[in-house]
Amino acid sequence: MRVVSEKTQSAAAEKIAKSLSKMDGVKASVDERTNGTQNRYIVTVDVDVENWRATAESLRNDHEVDYCSMITGIHWPESEEKTWEIIYHFLRTGVTDPAIEEGVVVPNIVDFSKVKGKNVPLELQISIILGETRTPSVASVQDIWVGADWNEKETWDLVGIVFEGHKGMRRVLNPHESPAGFHPLQKQHKLRYHDYEEMYDDAQGFKRKPTDVGKVK
Amino acid sequence: MGPQHPMTHGLWTLKIKVDGETVVDTEPELGYIHRGVEKICESRDFTQITTYCDRLCYASANTWSHAYIYAAEDLLGVEVPERAEYIRLIAVELQRLASHLMWLGAYGPDIGNLSAMVWCLREREMMMDLLQELGGSRMHYNFPRIGGVKRDLPTGFALRARHKVKLFLNRMQEYEALFDESTIFLIRSQGVGYTKAAEMVNAGVSGPNIRAAGVNYDIRSAHPYSVYSEFDWEPAVERSSIKGADCYDRYRIRMEEMRNSANLVLQALDKIPGGAETYHEPGDPKILAKSPSRAPEGTSGSHHFEDSRGESMFYIAGGGDGRGKKPYRVSIRSPMFITIPYAAKTMIGYKVADIPAIMGSFDPCIGETDR
Repeated sequence: MRVVSEKTQSAAAEKIAKSLSKMDGVKASVDERTNGTQNRYIVTVDVDVENWRATAESLRNDHEVDYCSMITGIHWPESEEKTWEIIYHFLRTGVTDPAIEEGVVVPNIVDFSKVKGKNVPLELQISIILGETRTPSVASVQDIWVGADWNEKETWDLVGIVFEGHKGMRRVLNPHESPAGFHPLQKQHKLRYHDYEEMYDDAQGFKRKPTDVGKVK
Repeated sequence: MGPQHPMTHGLWTLKIKVDGETVVDTEPELGYIHRGVEKICESRDFTQITTYCDRLCYASANTWSHAYIYAAEDLLGVEVPERAEYIRLIAVELQRLASHLMWLGAYGPDIGNLSAMVWCLREREMMMDLLQELGGSRMHYNFPRIGGVKRDLPTGFALRARHKVKLFLNRMQEYEALFDESTIFLIRSQGVGYTKAAEMVNAGVSGPNIRAAGVNYDIRSAHPYSVYSEFDWEPAVERSSIKGADCYDRYRIRMEEMRNSANLVLQALDKIPGGAETYHEPGDPKILAKSPSRAPEGTSGSHHFEDSRGESMFYIAGGGDGRGKKPYRVSIRSPMFITIPYAAKTMIGYKVADIPAIMGSFDPCIGETDR
């Protein structure tokens, strides 16, 4: 099978990292990892929260990063340097609509061993660190990548990161009637452990909360 | 529509705004079977998490546990023996076959081709038997381990696998006749639910759904992992119509992918280092490398993986409870969680009766969507 060569991928990663580092409040480097038969080159970027929107626009417009894979929020209540961290994973796929010749679609078969320039597939990992605050917030990129829309909804729902400018924010995995401010992946929420007998003695769960005292796992 | 949905095996609701019979707007409601897997993972050690990942999607358990294992290996810095990578490839490709067959078997009845279901489930059962030989159970195999696999290929597995996969390849022609010559199937799947490649990439859709629109983007070739680069194969690509890929294209691409997976299994059985008939005891360094059990704080691991439904991904931050014995945070990217909102928008402008045909063609699985 024709795959992207390590040399091409590392050169493309170095190039984008160098260009991103020139922007304000952006630190970019290339992280080399090994997976199976080939080395992976991940462009690792640290962005200041106020520069995020400009960086995102530059990623989309100047570097053709076209695919938002995942957004992760992490709550670090005990860490000294950060309380919240938002991690974006992007891919550059280089996918374009196939050409149409004489009314017939010609499938766009990319030979990955020969890709060049901005078509080289890349992995990017972007991290934004926030200090101690009760309302962590970051600019939304919903309008740049449609794929970020539901990722942002999920990150707000589960972790409680507010995405400024996001249209149509709502609960997606938790019930709609969850109390405001309840975001289960924040670290103050612990998994609760119920004893087998108690659970079945009290099927309705009315007395569940008092019996939980001291049984937090 | 929902939560007891006409076409999926999970619970979800699709809110539809209609003008007569025409769909004007849609909005999906998910989360009915949210189990909090990401939270549970924070209190389990790295080995225990594999079982939870199996249960993300019952139709495609093996691909999900492998997606996790690759991310965990990235985090812990483990190098996997080559023989184990081949065995994993066989397990994952057999699972992809079983998953696509489950989809095909479910999609037929959705749009009126009732007889196809039992045929597809018969073939799926062959794949399940093979996977059962590897993992020990019928659906949730818990097969991969950090650093390798649970067991080597059992004695006689190669013989049975070759026979069953070849039999399957022959029978594929029967299915194609069953679907491609079924008027009801063609009428209902052709010309509805058009999607364009560039638009799908921007919306985060990947996998077979995007390859149906005439591009060959595949994580296995664009970000090669495992030993896929050593085989003679090309990702399946479908020639869509000028309006984009319709439901029929998405059916065709999965048929081609099944051929691809079957050929990959056959090639892997021939090429596996040490031979497919050799058996190593569980825990042998040829199939299982030693791995550390703790990941210190500040480390992280991630891996993009070509799942049966698109790009799945795990991000794991190390340094949790027990001095790093447990992960601090596990984040799961489910391809269907991103695809369902997009698929819901593609049905705007079609009739209410087209909804099962369009939605089903994206292969939704609610287990992984809700996590």
